[in-house]
Amino acid sequence: MWKILSGLFLGWSLGANDSANIFGTGVTTGIVRYRTATWLTAGFLMLGALVEGPKCMEVVGELSQILPLGAFCCALAAAVTMTMLTFLAIPASTSQAIIGAIIGAGILSGSADFSKLYKIVSCWIFTPICGIAAAYLLHRGLGYALNKTVKSLTRRNYFYSAGILVAGCYGAYTLGSNNVANVTGVYVGAGTLTPGMASLIGGLSIAAGVLTYSKRVMMTIGKGIVPLDPFSALVVVLAEALTLHFFTQIGVPVSSSQAVVGAVVGVGVVGDVQTISFKMLARISIGWIMTPISGGVLSYFLITLLR
Amino acid sequence: MIFDRILSHGRKEREVVEDIKRHIELLCSACDTFRNSLEKRDKNLMWEVVELEREADSVRREVISHIYEGAFLPYLRPDLCKFVEIVDEVFDLLKETAFYCVENEIPEPLRDESIRVALLNFRMSDMLLISFEAMLKGEDLRERTLAVRIFEKKIDDIKLNLVKEVEQVPIENFWAGKALSDFLTNLTMISDIIEDASDHLQIINVSTR
Repeated sequence: MWKILSGLFLGWSLGANDSANIFGTGVTTGIVRYRTATWLTAGFLMLGALVEGPKCMEVVGELSQILPLGAFCCALAAAVTMTMLTFLAIPASTSQAIIGAIIGAGILSGSADFSKLYKIVSCWIFTPICGIAAAYLLHRGLGYALNKTVKSLTRRNYFYSAGILVAGCYGAYTLGSNNVANVTGVYVGAGTLTPGMASLIGGLSIAAGVLTYSKRVMMTIGKGIVPLDPFSALVVVLAEALTLHFFTQIGVPVSSSQAVVGAVVGVGVVGDVQTISFKMLARISIGWIMTPISGGVLSYFLITLLR
Repeated sequence: MIFDRILSHGRKEREVVEDIKRHIELLCSACDTFRNSLEKRDKNLMWEVVELEREADSVRREVISHIYEGAFLPYLRPDLCKFVEIVDEVFDLLKETAFYCVENEIPEPLRDESIRVALLNFRMSDMLLISFEAMLKGEDLRERTLAVRIFEKKIDDIKLNLVKEVEQVPIENFWAGKALSDFLTNLTMISDIIEDASDHLQIINVSTR
């Protein structure tokens, strides 16, 4: 069972980093207390992991035939890749790191299934695009409906307060349901864990990251998004959650950070297309290429070293 | 914090809104009392303006403390507080002009124009109250803001006349002249500040859309 330790570490770091995308704005603007936000995130994340988490496990597990030691190396390689790229300030995604690592391990054992990779890579490309589309449509549609129905200042204030809470809980649920496969999906493929057990253990490790080490990232990310008005902040979280939920139904784990970046761009597009920063898009593209490659190379060498 | 806000169904927010409304109503009363007092040459009524300013001060403190106790989203709080502070500036100017009127007689050549300015100030404060109520209902404020600007323009025109007239008024000494000059400046500046308050309401309204 010690072989799942690397997965637990990966889950813990995912929880510490990605929970900021959900309640970051709410916490830094003082709408929700940090403690309340982390407990809500942890609770709904666990719920999402247990109810819908197994949906994405299959795709991760079927990419390559991996032994339990290989699964340990893959999760470790993904965790190291995430730490390394985060240190270099390159936007990195846990899903890309773990998929890259599994493919690296599969190349070594000659069992990598590239036909499934096509579906996954398409989903990665479509994640920010879906984020943009969802945010744009929500901003337009919900904005129109709000202007027609919730006119009073006090009611609108109430709507935003309740909306940020509901959207945050939904965001936590979808993060758990989609991203738990990144953490423990590889162990399902290796036969170490059953999908149900993998969801429980993965969910607990992500929740531990949220509860113990998310404050700094939450403050940094939240303050970066503060210039958004409450309505746009609400739309961003909802769009991210919808994007993750959509890909959970397809059964592919994707990056919540890239969904958020897409949603912020989508909200910007409502105002002016020129708000899109091509420099930022270039950085994301570098992350897209660097993350799976680094994960793959690292797992390849780790397995070779430990075999 | 957030659960309190949701479970109370916006009780704190309603209290703040009621207090801000009361603050503007007090402004309307103060402007009206000031105009009445000028017309009737009643110095006792001028003291009422000072009393109304004190009452408004306590309402302002209540509004700001309620806001920082957690009413409204943090995003809106600074704008609401700023609006209340702007309205409070109007009260300060009214108090200054009232003090002048308690101690001095307005020179006859300036009286009629001063009463006109006071009447327009009252109408502007009334329009500010209408704008605030419209904002609460989520209505568009553009026409109301325009009305306030038109009133302000009228006062600017009267100000030009007052400046010309005041040159003909005999002045006893430097301090009497300074006090009269300050009175006219304050009286005509009230409209500028009400216009600022009205513009700020428009900003709040747009920012919540």
